[in-house]
Amino acid sequence: MVTVSNYERPNTMSEAIAALSREHVVVIGGGTKVNPAARAEPVTVVDLQALPLYGVQRLEGGALRIGATTTLQNLADHLDVPPVIREAARCEEPSTLRAFATLGGCVATADPESELLATLLAYDATVSVAAPSGTQTTPLADTLRNRGNLAGRIITAVTIETDGIASVARVGRTPADRPIVAAVARTTPSGEVRLALTGVAATPVLVKDAEGLDPPADFRGSSEYRRAIATTLIARAVEAVR
Amino acid sequence: MIDIRLRLNDVDRCLSCEPGDTLLTLLRREGCFSVRFGSDTGETGAAAVLVDGRLASADVLLAAQAAGHEVTTVESLNVATGELHPIQAAFVETGALQSGYSAGAMVLATKALLERISDPSEAEIRDAFSGILDRESGYVKVVEAVRRASACLRGEKLEPFQPIEVPRLTGLPAAEAGTAGTGSGDKSGDANDTSRAAETGIGEALDGASLARPRVVPSPDVAATVVVGKPEHKVDALALVKGNPVFTDDVEPRGLLHAKVLRSPYAHARIVAIDDTEARALTGVHAVLHHGNTLRVKYASGGQSAPNPFPWDQVSFDDTVRHVGDRVAAVAAETVELAEEACRRIKVTYDVLPAVFDAHDALLEGAPVVHDERDSIGIVDAPRNVAAHIEGQTVEDMDAAVAGADRVFEGTFHVHRVQHCAIEPHVTIGWLDADERLVIRTSTQVPFHVRRMLAPLLGLPVKQIRVIKPRIGGGFGGKQEMLIEDIVGHLVLATRRPVRLELTRDEEFASSRVRHAQTITFRTGVTHDGRLISQDMAVVANTGPYGVHGFTVQSVTGLRGLSSYNCPAKRYWGDVVYTNGPVSGAMRGYGAPQGVFALESHMDDIARALGMDPVELRRKNWVRAGDRLDIVPRLGERGAVEVIDPEDLPQVASCGTEECVAQALRAIGWDSRDDPTWRTPPDRPSIRRGIGFALCVMGSGIAFVDMGAASIKINDDGSFNLLIGATDLGTGADTIVAQIAAEVLGVPLEDIIVYEADTDLTPFDVGAYASGTTYISGTAVKKAAEIVRHRIAERAAAIFGLEHASSVELHDRHAWAPDGRSLSLADIAMRSLHLEQQEQIMGVASHLASESPSPFAAQLAQVEVDIETGQVTVAKIVTAVDCGVAVNPITASGQVEGAMLMGLGYALSEELVLDQQGRIVNARLGPYRVFRSDDAPASEVFLVQTMEPSGPFGAKAIGEIPIVGVAPAVRNAILDATGVAINTTPFTPERVWRALHGEQAGGSPELQLRGSGSLAT
Repeated sequence: MVTVSNYERPNTMSEAIAALSREHVVVIGGGTKVNPAARAEPVTVVDLQALPLYGVQRLEGGALRIGATTTLQNLADHLDVPPVIREAARCEEPSTLRAFATLGGCVATADPESELLATLLAYDATVSVAAPSGTQTTPLADTLRNRGNLAGRIITAVTIETDGIASVARVGRTPADRPIVAAVARTTPSGEVRLALTGVAATPVLVKDAEGLDPPADFRGSSEYRRAIATTLIARAVEAVR
Repeated sequence: MIDIRLRLNDVDRCLSCEPGDTLLTLLRREGCFSVRFGSDTGETGAAAVLVDGRLASADVLLAAQAAGHEVTTVESLNVATGELHPIQAAFVETGALQSGYSAGAMVLATKALLERISDPSEAEIRDAFSGILDRESGYVKVVEAVRRASACLRGEKLEPFQPIEVPRLTGLPAAEAGTAGTGSGDKSGDANDTSRAAETGIGEALDGASLARPRVVPSPDVAATVVVGKPEHKVDALALVKGNPVFTDDVEPRGLLHAKVLRSPYAHARIVAIDDTEARALTGVHAVLHHGNTLRVKYASGGQSAPNPFPWDQVSFDDTVRHVGDRVAAVAAETVELAEEACRRIKVTYDVLPAVFDAHDALLEGAPVVHDERDSIGIVDAPRNVAAHIEGQTVEDMDAAVAGADRVFEGTFHVHRVQHCAIEPHVTIGWLDADERLVIRTSTQVPFHVRRMLAPLLGLPVKQIRVIKPRIGGGFGGKQEMLIEDIVGHLVLATRRPVRLELTRDEEFASSRVRHAQTITFRTGVTHDGRLISQDMAVVANTGPYGVHGFTVQSVTGLRGLSSYNCPAKRYWGDVVYTNGPVSGAMRGYGAPQGVFALESHMDDIARALGMDPVELRRKNWVRAGDRLDIVPRLGERGAVEVIDPEDLPQVASCGTEECVAQALRAIGWDSRDDPTWRTPPDRPSIRRGIGFALCVMGSGIAFVDMGAASIKINDDGSFNLLIGATDLGTGADTIVAQIAAEVLGVPLEDIIVYEADTDLTPFDVGAYASGTTYISGTAVKKAAEIVRHRIAERAAAIFGLEHASSVELHDRHAWAPDGRSLSLADIAMRSLHLEQQEQIMGVASHLASESPSPFAAQLAQVEVDIETGQVTVAKIVTAVDCGVAVNPITASGQVEGAMLMGLGYALSEELVLDQQGRIVNARLGPYRVFRSDDAPASEVFLVQTMEPSGPFGAKAIGEIPIVGVAPAVRNAILDATGVAINTTPFTPERVWRALHGEQAGGSPELQLRGSGSLAT
């Protein structure tokens, strides 16, 4: 477990931002990933639960703005959220963690096997991040690529498109296993296909196709296997939305 | 310290805690013992509570996060003594609780679900339990419990939860016995007609019935009973479902110290120096132990009868570490955190040595020698890394035997390492009692072995040690060990304070035990028509750095590899090899899952080569009632018995194989294999379907070794205390033996009060292993109860004025004279304790089995293989098992359901993977992948009754057999679906994909033998 010297629960964004300027601070949404992580040096935990960062809001044009502390369970239950994302939120964590694990935490931890992140990528997600200098919004793909920049900042919301049709194809050892590789395809209104993959890079990624992938290997799949399977899964996901 | 306000179980509280305390820590400190530790990553769900009505794992939440919220534990439902909430009642009635370690979490998960959805679908139920791992039940009865609770809360009137009787499909057992030894698989025309009628009957009997209800196939040989054979509720159900403090860690002696173990980061190293100065200097650290300050006594940690099988190659703390996670030092301190800090401050200087991880590499000349010390005892060949060697054969000349075969096939199979993953980790609390005797309260399967094995390590006589086994949260062989009790004992003696040591999940993976990985070669000679002529089997097993259970597990691999089928020439040869990987040991099935995987895969390969139906090939050869198990004495627990009179060979008395196979084939839909559109569904072009079969044969305890004992005494009200040494791990053993006692004594189950496994108070028992408790301890209980019954009958006869006590019967809590007069047992008890010729009516008995009757099982898996990705999905799994008479069909079927799911993990997902330094890369339950509720396929259980004459009320064993055939059934189903034979477990997507692309050729190719026909040794 994390070694905690201090626990803080700021009530306003400015308090939260101020808290982040100190040394050895970790931010938690639900804490389900950060708390169990072993760290030798004591930290101050800044818990975002009291900030008004939760909830799903429909924007003009149909996009959804989802607060960073919205839990995966709320996301899975929310009828405005596209079904593929709801299902991915459900699959992201088991029943005992979903009511605390947050969307912001999912983005911040950038798990390469996260099917939820892949679906968000396919829905053109952007991430709003608050810093002492103000709030910036960047595409999720950039946020994941530059996730080192999140230190000292707070993810406040994720905004997604909701139109188009999407489908997921995956491979795992068991039916509810975290996918070894998953492919998410979504058609946009202009007829383009967005493709996102898990299990082929350091984070989930948007791709055009399986060309040029160099997946990191682990005990569940070699690089060669992941590359081959990505091709198959992309074809299946695309087929399902065409 | 910080103060937090929260509402806990409907009471507003202000509680102090450290900012880093987990909610789990806080709740247990507040006495909510139903919230239990399973992992510190939220992966077991044993610590799940409700926060604002939502399920949440308290092990990953900081207590401070719960401030301002409403926290609910199962204790909130426990409002009246002896009464249950409807959800709790549903769990008890359906037999959904085995160990009950996570019972609180399960009840809360149900409560949260039903408050959201009053009538949930099965998928919704399984999703609600996706975070609560249950290594025991297979979730089948859990789903049923939720359905039942839902119906009850919606006001439906419910029938009692009962097994379903289904008619037999084959001839009666007597007729089956009549064909013994003829090997004829042909059915007569009459039998087929009977069979068709019976199939219709089964269809009617099972119409829409829940799969949670076991299908009992009765035998006319079994006499009617009142308590035995009935779906009684578990005797510990109330304590478990209310989350009452019954587990090892649920007590907290005053002045308790916490222990932590410093573990090796290297796979192989010499400890050149240890400097513990800084650790000892920490305030609150009370002891630091390592090889420099503890006794060096050689032992073997496996919990087995004396003398413990060799090699004795361990000491409590050594100057050499032999695997990542091996013990270096142990600390006792005021808090867990302080003990951890002290471990970090112990300065160890290592001389890192070359390490070896593969058993075949370890046998090569020049390989690192894992045991180069001189004081280990009984290592067969330490310079070659051979810990133990086993040989056994039924013929002198194997070459000559093979020469008599028409065709010879050979297959080599590789089975991997898996771990038990009991949700309760190893945990021990020790203290000195008022007489300064050492008390060890521990999560063990073998309390009496632990007492005896601890004594020399601590330098204490046995009489100075008391071992208590409370309720246990699962064992599966991982606790047939003295794994940490010696550490706690040393620390208690060093500090004279109570000491607690609980392993983390990381430590469980790295430093407890695993199933032996093996390479198994079968060479089999057959006639053209499929009769076995010779079976030659060779095994190289990876025991890790210690030879724990090495000789005996690998003996059982040979025993179970060679006892399913009649064959005139059998030979086994096995090497148990040291490596620097994790320590292998006992695990459910004890070598049989490995041996039977190879055997049953090999048999399918041979059937294909011969163009035979895989079941028909087996039927030509399988063991029947009356057959002699000629390999048994050659591969015994204590080595081979040399001179054998054929008449002394163990003989099968009861065998339900034919009926098991018929029921299981029908249930899985064996005939659908003939339907091309089923095999290759037109709408899913990448899918191939198939069905695989495996036959399993096990034993019931270890003959002439295992002994159990019991004592029974009557109380004033005619109830009885039953004291047993047997060890219930969540298996339901206490309930089973109490049912046996109740049957003999003519009382309902509730009149039997069971207390078990306390070395000061109960009689001896070897413990829970080798599927022996029902058969051996159950027989001891039956004998003790018969002594009590006889004495009650004598006293009743005297009162009735009868000459013979034998004419008195006991039933309905009364003793009955032939003329209908009766006396209540309470009346007899009061007279005997207080009024006339006072005495304590009691009986003590023990039982040493002289045989180990085999349970038999047919296991089938139906799979879908995605030929583009290699993903294998099991659609359904069926077990039909002959365990004699199932004393409790509900708990028996629960054992089968749990074992099937554990077997699927072995087949498909679970694997401990090492990196090049010997560290486990997936030492977490998620990446390791135990099957969750939402992973589990449909499963169906048939309990095929036979009457085992040597068993208590006809019972044989059930605990291990249902895991044994799962992996080969899945393997053979993949073979059936795709035509591709895979000889290496587990069948992960990539492995299957590669096999489909022609890599790693498997199967059992035919040999064209010249010269020697036997496997090289």
